[in-house]
Amino acid sequence: MKFKAQLEELEQQTAAALAMGGEAKLAARREKGVLNARERLDVLLDSDSFFESGMFAKGIRPQVRHKTPADGKIAGYGRIEGREVSVVSNDFTTIGASSSAINGKKIRHIREVATERGMPMIFLGESAGARMPDRMGAPGRAMLGQDPAEYQRRRQTPWVSALLGDCYGSSTWYSCMSDFVVMRKGATMAVASSRVTSIAINQEVDPEELGGWRLHTGTTGMVDIAVDSDEEALKAIRTFLSYLPSSAKEAPPRVEVPEGSDAAAERILEVLPEERNSVYDVREVIRSIVDRDSFFELKARFGKSVSTGLARIDGRSVGVIANNTKFKGGAIDVDAMRKTTSFMVMCDSFNIPIVFLVDQPGFLIGVDGEKRGAPGRIINWMNAISLVSVPRISVIMRKSYGQAYLNMGGGRNSDEVLTWPTADLGFVDPHLGVHMLYGVKKEDDPERFEECLKELQQDSSAWALAELYETHAVIDPRETRSSLKRLLDVHAGDGIVGRHDLSVWPTSY
Amino acid sequence: MAELEVKSDITGTVWKILSKEGDEIQEDDTMIILESMKMEIPLSSTEDGVIKRIVVAEGDAVAEGDLILVLEV
Repeated sequence: MKFKAQLEELEQQTAAALAMGGEAKLAARREKGVLNARERLDVLLDSDSFFESGMFAKGIRPQVRHKTPADGKIAGYGRIEGREVSVVSNDFTTIGASSSAINGKKIRHIREVATERGMPMIFLGESAGARMPDRMGAPGRAMLGQDPAEYQRRRQTPWVSALLGDCYGSSTWYSCMSDFVVMRKGATMAVASSRVTSIAINQEVDPEELGGWRLHTGTTGMVDIAVDSDEEALKAIRTFLSYLPSSAKEAPPRVEVPEGSDAAAERILEVLPEERNSVYDVREVIRSIVDRDSFFELKARFGKSVSTGLARIDGRSVGVIANNTKFKGGAIDVDAMRKTTSFMVMCDSFNIPIVFLVDQPGFLIGVDGEKRGAPGRIINWMNAISLVSVPRISVIMRKSYGQAYLNMGGGRNSDEVLTWPTADLGFVDPHLGVHMLYGVKKEDDPERFEECLKELQQDSSAWALAELYETHAVIDPRETRSSLKRLLDVHAGDGIVGRHDLSVWPTSY
Repeated sequence: MAELEVKSDITGTVWKILSKEGDEIQEDDTMIILESMKMEIPLSSTEDGVIKRIVVAEGDAVAEGDLILVLEV
């Protein structure tokens, strides 16, 4: 054979790269039921679609070159449902997939191609953080910060991250810039590892407490969903991307409507309680409006009084923002404000129309909220909704009280406002209003209370709103789906591309 | 087995207790109904588990962050 020696060398080099950090480490992962970096790519991508970039890259210092196949971060291009994506998969078996000069170059190249050619960027995270010996002293400083756009996020294309093990350093930073983050239970995301943190603060630190799934799905809101296995995490990435366009320059793909999608519309009346003081799970309402099985909830464990998620109506991607009275009676707390704003940022950046489902008694007022800067969060939300240039359609189901009426798309903050006959509009429940405005309690002076109530009470019905043309239609709740389909035809046509004024907003607040 | 403290996410009163100690609970099951802002607010489990202790009684006033019950998860 011609060029035998050279081709054999290619074969040997390839085998060495594919062996990653060695059989012992790979076997230990298999034992734990955790996929390795290359197996993860096999599960994530369409079969035989991966083209690797930088398989033969190695650590820059001669003393680590023999033990840094692909320099610990496997990069390249693949396809998901036939669409091109760029991907970086961290190989923890190769000195902890630590960040180095060479693998930094790989990430930069892949990221630039994703941006230039318009394809999503996927980070499969599991990394120890900076490769410390490379970063020591002034020379170490000189290796950093050579890419001024390294932490710049302009949302030209969607970014998604999976947290699949110990995630410190780059895996953490990229997650915090991503539009969707999935975490495997048992993984940790933090600035630095529990070991490094323990040494730095001279105190034992529990990794779960430092950065486990409960913390990030329930308290920080930086993780969208937590799952039990690597496979589920990778499947979630494929699902998320199915709702998004490949780049901000395109509308999301429109898909075929699953059979039976109209059948659930009747169920709304079953879900909605007749008693005003009873609550319900708004996700049941969402599921009866959107295409069958298309609701993909994001941040379900965070700021629960607002439910946010992607779904499809008539095959079109939509973002749903719905008050959930099941939690805190639907009163909007600071977490729910943060979550809603970041969700709008994502929808606006990627041309996804927004549907508001409104049933809320106002913002959750109290000392805790003020300490956490509630007024600032409320106005962030208002600023965002005013900048959104994708179609916004608001459906007032029951209550819409207080200033939050505007946050949920009231007035000119939506392109269309639909109202159910069950709607109840106003600034505050008049019974509470009498106490607030006149200082009269019913139990103290029933006569005066009734007098004041009469004075304060105004027509709060859907009809009064319709007369003022502040709602564009009053509809039977069972007609919500068909009305939204029609209005999306009007406002989204064959798919629209917005101005993306929110595309440079941060991902977390 | 870990213990998970379930706290009230709202200020109000305990209206109905639907579960008892030892009950097996699934994520999203309603265990207790609170009353606040003239609304019935269900307190649901965020995880599967078994109720180890219930520390409130019907009619009790609770503040946001008060312990309601302990789950074993």
